[in-house]
Amino acid sequence: MTATSDHPTSTDVPSNGLSRRSFLKWSAAAGGGVALASGTNQLGLLPGSGLWASEDEDGGLETRWSACVVNCGSCCPLRMQVAGGRVVRVLPDDTGDDELGSQQIRACVRGLSYRQRMYSPDRLKVPMKRVGKRGAGEWEEISWEQAYDEIAEAVQRIIDEYGNEAIYLNYGTGTIRGTIAKSWPPAITPIARLMNTVGGYLNHYADYSTAQIQGAVAYHYGGWIGANSLDDAKSANLQVLFGNNPLETRMSGGGEAFVTQRTREQSKVRTIVIDPRYSETALGVADEWVPLRPGTDAALVAGMAHVMVSEDLHDQEFLDSHCQGFDEDHMPEDVPEGSSYVAYLMGEGPDGVEKTPEWAASITGVPADTIVRLAREIATTKPTYINQGWGPQRHANGENQARAIFTLVAMTGNIGIRGGSTGEREGSYGLPMANPYASENPVETSIPVFAWTDAVEKGPEMTATNAGVQGADRLEVPIKMIWNYAGNALTNQHGDINRTIELLEDDSKCEMIVVIDTRMTVSARYADILLPDAMNAEQLDLVAQGSAGNMGYTILGDQVVEPPFECKTVYEMCSEIAKRLGTEEDFTEGRTQEEWVRHILDASREDIPDLPSFEELKEMGVWRDPNPPEVGYVPLEDFRADPEEHPLPTPSGKIEIFSTELWEMAETWELPEGDRITALPEHLDTWEGPAEARERDDHPLQCIGHHYKQRTHSTYGNLPWLEEAHPQIVWMNPVDAEERGIGNDDTVEVFNERGRIRLPARVTVRIAPGVVSVPQGAWFTPNEQGVDVGGSVNTLTSWRQSPIHKGNAQHTTLVQIARA
Amino acid sequence: MAVTLGFYFDQTLCNGCKACQIACKDKHDTAIGVNWRRVAEYSGGTWQITGDTFSPNIFANYLTMACNHCDDAVCVDVCPTTAMHQREDGVVVVDDDLCVGCRYCEWSCPYSAPQYDAETGRMSKCDLCTDYREAGLDPACVAACPSRALDWGPIDELREQYGDVAGIAPLPDPSVTRPNLVIRPHHSAEPVGAATGAITNPREV
Amino acid sequence: MFTDLSMTVFSIFAQMSVGAFVVLGVVQVLARSRGGRSSEEIDRLTDPATYAVGVTLVLGLAASIFHLGTPMNAINVLRHLDASWLSREIAFGLGFAGLGFVFAATQYLKWGSPLLRQALAGLTALVGVGLVASMAMIYTTLEAVPAWNSWVTPVQFAITTLLLGSLAVGAAFMGTVMWRRRQMEQQGELPTTDARDLETITTSLKGIAVASILLLGAAFVVIPLHLNELSQGGATAVASAEVFSGAVFSLRLALVFLGAGLLGVLVYRFAARTHADPRPLAVVATVAFGLVFVGEFIGRWQFYESMTRIGM
Repeated sequence: MTATSDHPTSTDVPSNGLSRRSFLKWSAAAGGGVALASGTNQLGLLPGSGLWASEDEDGGLETRWSACVVNCGSCCPLRMQVAGGRVVRVLPDDTGDDELGSQQIRACVRGLSYRQRMYSPDRLKVPMKRVGKRGAGEWEEISWEQAYDEIAEAVQRIIDEYGNEAIYLNYGTGTIRGTIAKSWPPAITPIARLMNTVGGYLNHYADYSTAQIQGAVAYHYGGWIGANSLDDAKSANLQVLFGNNPLETRMSGGGEAFVTQRTREQSKVRTIVIDPRYSETALGVADEWVPLRPGTDAALVAGMAHVMVSEDLHDQEFLDSHCQGFDEDHMPEDVPEGSSYVAYLMGEGPDGVEKTPEWAASITGVPADTIVRLAREIATTKPTYINQGWGPQRHANGENQARAIFTLVAMTGNIGIRGGSTGEREGSYGLPMANPYASENPVETSIPVFAWTDAVEKGPEMTATNAGVQGADRLEVPIKMIWNYAGNALTNQHGDINRTIELLEDDSKCEMIVVIDTRMTVSARYADILLPDAMNAEQLDLVAQGSAGNMGYTILGDQVVEPPFECKTVYEMCSEIAKRLGTEEDFTEGRTQEEWVRHILDASREDIPDLPSFEELKEMGVWRDPNPPEVGYVPLEDFRADPEEHPLPTPSGKIEIFSTELWEMAETWELPEGDRITALPEHLDTWEGPAEARERDDHPLQCIGHHYKQRTHSTYGNLPWLEEAHPQIVWMNPVDAEERGIGNDDTVEVFNERGRIRLPARVTVRIAPGVVSVPQGAWFTPNEQGVDVGGSVNTLTSWRQSPIHKGNAQHTTLVQIARA
Repeated sequence: MAVTLGFYFDQTLCNGCKACQIACKDKHDTAIGVNWRRVAEYSGGTWQITGDTFSPNIFANYLTMACNHCDDAVCVDVCPTTAMHQREDGVVVVDDDLCVGCRYCEWSCPYSAPQYDAETGRMSKCDLCTDYREAGLDPACVAACPSRALDWGPIDELREQYGDVAGIAPLPDPSVTRPNLVIRPHHSAEPVGAATGAITNPREV
Repeated sequence: MFTDLSMTVFSIFAQMSVGAFVVLGVVQVLARSRGGRSSEEIDRLTDPATYAVGVTLVLGLAASIFHLGTPMNAINVLRHLDASWLSREIAFGLGFAGLGFVFAATQYLKWGSPLLRQALAGLTALVGVGLVASMAMIYTTLEAVPAWNSWVTPVQFAITTLLLGSLAVGAAFMGTVMWRRRQMEQQGELPTTDARDLETITTSLKGIAVASILLLGAAFVVIPLHLNELSQGGATAVASAEVFSGAVFSLRLALVFLGAGLLGVLVYRFAARTHADPRPLAVVATVAFGLVFVGEFIGRWQFYESMTRIGM
């Protein structure tokens, strides 16, 4: 059954004799703000009264296009129906079809709950300034003028006193798909644009999603090269997914979940999912699920590699011509014997341990004969599509995890071919939109994205070789001011929340925190000045696509309703602050937000001649590239064909299974006790890893934090409908539960030395024994005893970083669980 | 009866996301605790732990359920006021003017279709989005499902196109109420009456 | 939870009313057939109990209103007599109450001949039985609820009806006797009870004691059979059976055993000694009733708690 859409549309917002602002003030007086916490009917609209019926005097509902712009990897248009200045219904995309390449981009359960965010009781309403201790939640309401003045003063003061490097733009992805109102990456955000008019800011590299794998590709392939798209698996005879869960982490009905499902439907490609959890992807498309302990993928690869080498199943030819470091004959000079991967596998390296399937079984939990069988199957099936998600790399040994999977692909000769891959996460096509809004940062210094707490606490101690500082040898000054726009990494999404907020509470360290957000999040509580942002549906903006296989598209998000209360757009905020700093013209270039959108569309039309006009795009909402590539991009196709002609940007020009640069870094870098940088993708036992888990009695369970349907990270958190649909729970295996007398739905506490959370247990067969998972992104809610009853996994995680790219090891945590 | 309508559910595609549940809530503004469509996770199996290694023999799948507008709608039979009634097209609806909120229908339905709304004091339930259908649109849940796992229409057409499986564990035998439902079972789905699994998320259903 | 309370009160009170009414009828019939007493004299014993039945029934019906989300629409509940057992139950309930009221009124005002009034009582009793039967049918026909969908439900309802009804009548009789003796005391007379009244009462109580012991036996046979049936009825049945375990369930069993069993024996023995002071008998009969009432109340509460549906 296909749908037709004959909604009445009108570009005029119906007026009903009551100005929107006064209506909202009235309803605030009448009933505590524009709360939509329960099912009470608004504006007298009865349930199921239908599209055409409305109490609105001017009659009819009007529909406008907007989108959900959060950091879920996808991006979905939303049709919003408005009556009396209020969104009353959120409808999914109804353009496109069910075919790959032109698919309807149906919003997921979160996007469909958009209204709950818009009208949440914790919506920020007026600019506020902290009184009392930072984080105490005591505020005075101030005018916008005062807010702008004070922020501009602080920026100027800190630049004068410490320099631009003392001002940091924190990681925040709440509005990542916007263009003018875009919160990340820094370089293309309005905050960066503002700061770049007055000398720049301290930047960060990598992100909370991919820090370690970015480090891995840098030294293994010489940089980010992408991977075959998920639909390319149709050309494969075997699909192997390491810790990748598109059916939950790319849930859009137009994104990779859809691509994965369709590909599987059409090609029936045999699929193996390797993951500590029987994820939705395993449930949906896997023929076999291989559970393993978190952080042991590199050991699994080594065990399989041992089988391949022992039985001569690997692609020696490819390794010879395209790779450095696999065997002793293909090593760089001045490196001792026994440093190759084969030597590592066969016990002929420095550790003298042979990486047999039995060795790997003991570490990973995967039975040895399964490892042998998998090795044979993966090696002999051609082509095999091997892809990793971002689970394996988000560990204390994450760089090596990622590199091990790259090595597996090289060993089986599946690189640079259709139906093969590079072992990175899937690639996808994207429209080559232009972005003249981007700005240049005069400051070159950049810190690892996860190290900002170190930079606040002890900035000048951080150097290139002990802390991964880039663009300079060291930090000259600590972070003194933080801009936190549409982000929760200031607290909730960072590790060790208790320690983080303790750091923030000391305002002699970080002296100024400006938070711009739509709701009173955990991070908003730690602002010195808190500015109420307009939601993306409350402003006009160009919305960038998410990853959707081979489909390219763009969305024009209309201003569906006006911002409520005193909320303003971030563009207006930055313009006003720039004015006080004397750089308004530099910031705006004389354009309004709409003029910028038009300008960007015009600039993009150079590379995308079919791109519709602004007016057309506003009408249609979402536009798809009518000529997407027929086949997905195959990375390293040229390199495979002729590695001499198309070398990689590595020192050897080849794939470096033994990385020369890492070999040198291992010598020159100063690492914390216990950290190791290895030139080979060795399995590393780390702090709070699976080996330590089995030795400890106090915290014997490995705790990971999977991405969960209730939220996108912490966005969409704390909303009634979504909490009802997907309550915050901790997954645990029945064996572990029985040992502790825990039944399904019992309230439990998960704890370690860093903190304690309380939430219901989900006793499920869908997770490996010895492993628990607390879905990440729940809102930290400490009760009087300091127990986090919101159930945030980061109450338990650590600040400690991975060795190479100083990334967040947020899946490397040990805990204990007990009935509450 | 003119044309009997029903739902089709492709269980092989469902990832338990509940977009269907939320789309319905958004359209009808139903309160917390009132869900005209619900999604259950059904799982079971065992783990074998041998020394340092482990082997799962487990299964899991999802079921979404609104109302099956059954041919033998037990909720209609038991209702003392005739508030719960069945229309020409088979769709079962509640007449708010008659309903006393005794919740007898709630007791009778093995699919939890009748939902008590504490605010109105009456029962409420899926009506297959009557107004959308009349406007030539799909019901909210069908249009929303990101996996395209839902369809609807005359039950004869659905059966012709998709087969006639109308019950899998943990659902009851279709002979109890004769639901107008067609399911394409997940590879791990068990037949009605199988006892190896259980609903993993009972509080949510 | 509030739902469960109102349903428990309603069903217990209504069934107890029917049971008591039937038992009163039996007492009437037997007392008359033995001869030697006029209907008026017998009525003097049974009328107060009859009025008490009426009050109990009205309270029960009132409690059931609390179960409704929209009582204002209650006028419609008789619209589905052709299919809904709930409609029928309400019809029988209103019928029983109405006829009972008329009967009580005729008794009080002494309208009509005793025979006519007896016939009216008989009709009322029949309608009362219909009430209990349709109450049972409401639950036992629900295929979705394994804990209820069983022969056990109507049997347990019948047992409750007769057990509570009998013991209630016993307590009511003794209450009537004691109250009248009190009245006499307060008027400065020596409290006495007519010997033949006493005989009627003690004979009734002996019968009530025997009946309650037999019904106790029946109840204690049905319970394990029910649990066994549930344990083999599939996952939902097994889950619903869990309600019938633990301290509260044990308490229910103990109370009913004590009240109907042990005290039943005492009631019989005290009743057999038809001597001047009826006070010990009154105490025992009242306590027996009280214990069984609480036990049955718990039992019915757990009945509602066991409502677990198959499916999803």
